[in-house]
Amino acid sequence: MSNEKRTRGGFDYQLFFVTLLLMILGIVMIYSTSTYRAGEDPYSFVKRQVLAEILGSIALFTIYFIPYSWLKFMGRAPLRYIVLGVSLGLLLLLLVPALSHTAYGATRWLNLGFFNLQPAEVVKIAVIFFVAGYISEKPERVNTLKGYLTCLAVVLFCGLMVYSISTNLSSALIIMGIGVIMLFLSCNDWKIHLLVAGIGAVGVYLFVNWIINSSMDVNNVDYHFKRIMVWHDPSAYVLDGGYQTLQALYAIGSGGITGKGIGKSVQKLSAIPEVHNDMIFSVVCEELGLVGAVVVLILFVLLLARCMMITLKAKDNFGKLLCAGVMMHIAIQVILNIAVVTNTLPNTGVSLPFISYGGSSATFLLAELGLVMKVAKE
Amino acid sequence: MAENSKNKQARGRRKRKRPDAQSVLNLNIAGKIVVVSAIILLLFGFLVVRIARIMRDNGDQYKKQVLSQQEYDSVTIPFRRGSITDRNGVILAHSERVYNLIVDSYVLTDEEDTIEPTVMALNECFGLDAAELRGYIRDNGNSRYHIFKKEISYDERTAYEEYVENYNNEINEFNKGSEIKRPKINKNGVWFEDQFKRSYPNGTLACDVIGFTTKDGRGQYGLEEYYDSTLSGSNGREYGYLLDENALERTVVPAVNGNTLVSTMDSYIQRVCEEKIKEYNEEHADEYREGEMGSDNTGVIVMDVHTGEVLAMASYPYFDLNDPGNLDILPEELQSYLLEKAGWKDSKDDEDKNDEDEDDEEEEESSKEKEQSYQERLEACRQKASQSLWKNFCISQSYEPGSVGKTFTVAMGLDSGTVHDNDVYNCGGYLTFGEGDNATTIRCHNRYGDGPLTTKEAVEKSCNVALMLMGQKIGKERFLEYQKNFNFGLRTNIDLAGEMRTSSLVFNKDTMGITELMTSTFGQGFNVTMIQTAAAYCSLVNGGYYYKPHMVKQILDDDGAVVKNIEPELLRQVVSEKVSEQMIDYGIGVVEEGTGKKARPAGYKIGGKTGTAERSGQGKRDYTVSFMGFAPADDPQIVVYVVIDRPNTASQGENATRYACVICREIMTEILPYMHIFMTEELSEEEKAELEERGRLPQDQEIEENEEGGESEESPEEEEEEKEVINLYIDPNSGYAIDPFNGEYLDPKTGEPINSDSGIFQNSDGDTIDITVLKDDEAEEKED
Repeated sequence: MSNEKRTRGGFDYQLFFVTLLLMILGIVMIYSTSTYRAGEDPYSFVKRQVLAEILGSIALFTIYFIPYSWLKFMGRAPLRYIVLGVSLGLLLLLLVPALSHTAYGATRWLNLGFFNLQPAEVVKIAVIFFVAGYISEKPERVNTLKGYLTCLAVVLFCGLMVYSISTNLSSALIIMGIGVIMLFLSCNDWKIHLLVAGIGAVGVYLFVNWIINSSMDVNNVDYHFKRIMVWHDPSAYVLDGGYQTLQALYAIGSGGITGKGIGKSVQKLSAIPEVHNDMIFSVVCEELGLVGAVVVLILFVLLLARCMMITLKAKDNFGKLLCAGVMMHIAIQVILNIAVVTNTLPNTGVSLPFISYGGSSATFLLAELGLVMKVAKE
Repeated sequence: MAENSKNKQARGRRKRKRPDAQSVLNLNIAGKIVVVSAIILLLFGFLVVRIARIMRDNGDQYKKQVLSQQEYDSVTIPFRRGSITDRNGVILAHSERVYNLIVDSYVLTDEEDTIEPTVMALNECFGLDAAELRGYIRDNGNSRYHIFKKEISYDERTAYEEYVENYNNEINEFNKGSEIKRPKINKNGVWFEDQFKRSYPNGTLACDVIGFTTKDGRGQYGLEEYYDSTLSGSNGREYGYLLDENALERTVVPAVNGNTLVSTMDSYIQRVCEEKIKEYNEEHADEYREGEMGSDNTGVIVMDVHTGEVLAMASYPYFDLNDPGNLDILPEELQSYLLEKAGWKDSKDDEDKNDEDEDDEEEEESSKEKEQSYQERLEACRQKASQSLWKNFCISQSYEPGSVGKTFTVAMGLDSGTVHDNDVYNCGGYLTFGEGDNATTIRCHNRYGDGPLTTKEAVEKSCNVALMLMGQKIGKERFLEYQKNFNFGLRTNIDLAGEMRTSSLVFNKDTMGITELMTSTFGQGFNVTMIQTAAAYCSLVNGGYYYKPHMVKQILDDDGAVVKNIEPELLRQVVSEKVSEQMIDYGIGVVEEGTGKKARPAGYKIGGKTGTAERSGQGKRDYTVSFMGFAPADDPQIVVYVVIDRPNTASQGENATRYACVICREIMTEILPYMHIFMTEELSEEEKAELEERGRLPQDQEIEENEEGGESEESPEEEEEEKEVINLYIDPNSGYAIDPFNGEYLDPKTGEPINSDSGIFQNSDGDTIDITVLKDDEAEEKED
């Protein structure tokens, strides 16, 4: 495989087909998990997902065909602030009750009539854009504490905004994760890394410890704190959210090496809440077994490897950082999702890219892949 | 995340010094991104291991857990028990579909804001306590099945569903144009479970015949028990099963509903019979013995002589089929009498004899215990008493038939040729038979002797001596053979549960001596049941054909299609047609000339036979009096058999027999016109007045007043005037009748008009009444 060819601007078929495979698998699994509860039209979830993916593909090809300079232009000083500002503005719209849509006890969706948009997804792509633009403009400034912290502050601010407005801790964590890793990739001053990492690690450790050890009544603690306690011992908090985790574990455990066969999950029938969504991977395990789970992970590895290759081959810093950001986004989300499903991490509500049901997520992930493919083309 | 980046840092530091060729500008990320990718790969590997470990360590346990959460146990779908109707389709017993209201807290708590409107809807529609519901749902968030109300009717359920529909539509409308979304009623949180409830719309009607069902749906007594398997269907089932290792399949087997019985009973005739015996019993309460009703038991059977179909089978006392254990619907007197018979002694104040020793020691404590045991004993006695009501007197109690049995003896004699129509028997008041030490004397009821009697007269006068003489001619062998042919001693096998066996209560070759034969000829010494006697008597008046008596004529399936027609079953010919004609003639004689005069209903010619039997083995003198009647006399269609067990009338013995006649007369007066059997006889003045009183006077008959109405029930005495019959309308507002001539109100009860004297006879029809009014000029004269 000649890298020269690709950098010269071929269409990245590997990336495209791996994504396509993942999406097809996703649609099959969504059909399998959602028909039972879809009501009158057994395909209603599948239809909406396919629609979102078509929309995402349109975005992908639009980005692919517009000049690269336009993308670079959007990463420049005034425009990147505007992009970020617009995304945060969308987030703020959630505070307007008429425009927002509430489900599962959280207001995370903007009601656009035919489509519910999750502004957090917009913020994610905007942050990737912003950081890539900010760093690539003057790469050396992140080596200074001031430059580094400025960028970090913007990222953390976006994360906090997402968390506080849409009570979406997972998206906030993903945004911060993407930002921090992009900074890590760019900054060559290890002192800064050490400082940031040290403070972060200590903070997280203290926080988790405090939650677990606190003898607070489970009913009084905050939504996310509760989830952490549930994670610590799901069977002790079955009524407070441990149920979902526990049922997902049952699903995974009962799958075995080869699974029960596609469509034959028992747990999807009623036991697991939101099974077509965040917990879809547990049904993948139940129906397709360990083999299926490994296949899905290998597909993601292929996808990420491809992204890495593109990052490495990219001509300019902006492209590199853009690809790296998208790659991190996908990687973090996959790891978080599977970790949650296997109760390795507390339940945060992360969807599995390209497989979980979720229109905004699918659309914007495809748009992000469009960026990667654009970079690959250059 | 921070921890991850810390790791990355640590790893990244080692590779920092590697020169980076790929970097185009001064940004060097190649090394670091490889490191990060490696870490990602590591994490992926870690997760795969994690999944594998879950499968390995907990796989079996989780597999079981998953299966145990599934509802592959079966759910029963209840069948509907068949109905019971009378011959005209009037429903006597049926099963209604009712619903249990189930609250699924799990679903409700899932969408918490829907709890409140749902609770309010339940409160509104079913009157359930809102606070209790809220509390239950809050405290039992995991409960999926809790019955909150039982036996909800279909209407109530539909009303609730409509309410929910309307409410949710309103909310939908509201939510469309509003920023604040109001919660809807949670439809899935509340559901209904089918059930069937047996109900008897006519309450006490034909209680002994129909029987009832237990809580678990098994028939008890009567048709419900006899036809239990016909009325029952089979439950359906919804069940899941494991196809192979862990795939689940659900299947539904629908319920098969039970079949419907169409009874031979006519609910109108049945009702008349029940009313008449109730009237009798209430009227004669306390008359001879204090604290008792008119009788211990009174039974009536009305049968179609040509088919063996039972048109009515009534007995007193009665019970409520919808609440069989409840004695409260009976008169208080009867309740206490029944309790007494059930062994109840109101010994609250007395020392309880069984517990005497204990009582001496701990009197204070025992008073409490006593109170408790008092209640318990009372309850036990009440149960026993109500159980005694459930038995059907007409088929489950035997008695000596008395003189009604004489009819059969005569029929035997005539049919066997041993007795002839023109035989003459001389009654000297007693008969002595046997020789030497075995000589026995039996008196006739008329101790002065009836003198010479023809066969017909013997029946009419009910002479014991004549019958004994006939019995001597017939002989033991023949008597027993005929008795068997008449089905005495055998069960009739009528299709009702609980028919008594009487085989040991009649004589056989070995037990019947001359004395037994002699007493048997006039219906004493052996026992029969009412249904045996009525069925046998039918054969005497229908040409000699013995039909098996039956209660059900048709069995229909759930859709109303006929499953089985139960045809009249002719068992044998017991006597010849000629003998049958003679028996009809004798029967007519009894009513026209003999002991049964009181039984003739106005306007009809009927026949029959009275019966008076001394009750044996009671120590004191008790009687069972009866009347067996058939009508119309010339072409008998029905037999009405009335039996009064231990009449409580002022006059006892033979003189009480007339009450059985009177009941028969009362019943026939009502049911013969209903059955389209027309009057054939001239009405006497007295009878006309009586019929008029009942509102049963044939329409075309002119009303004439008479002065001789000496009986209490007679019409107001008035001079005969020119009168006309007019229809009067009752004003619906005031309840007064309106005089058609001047529009003024009349009092329909007293017949006192505001401006004229007139006699008003209220028709049982209600809103129109026949009235005889003086002509206007007459009235004016009187006022002057």
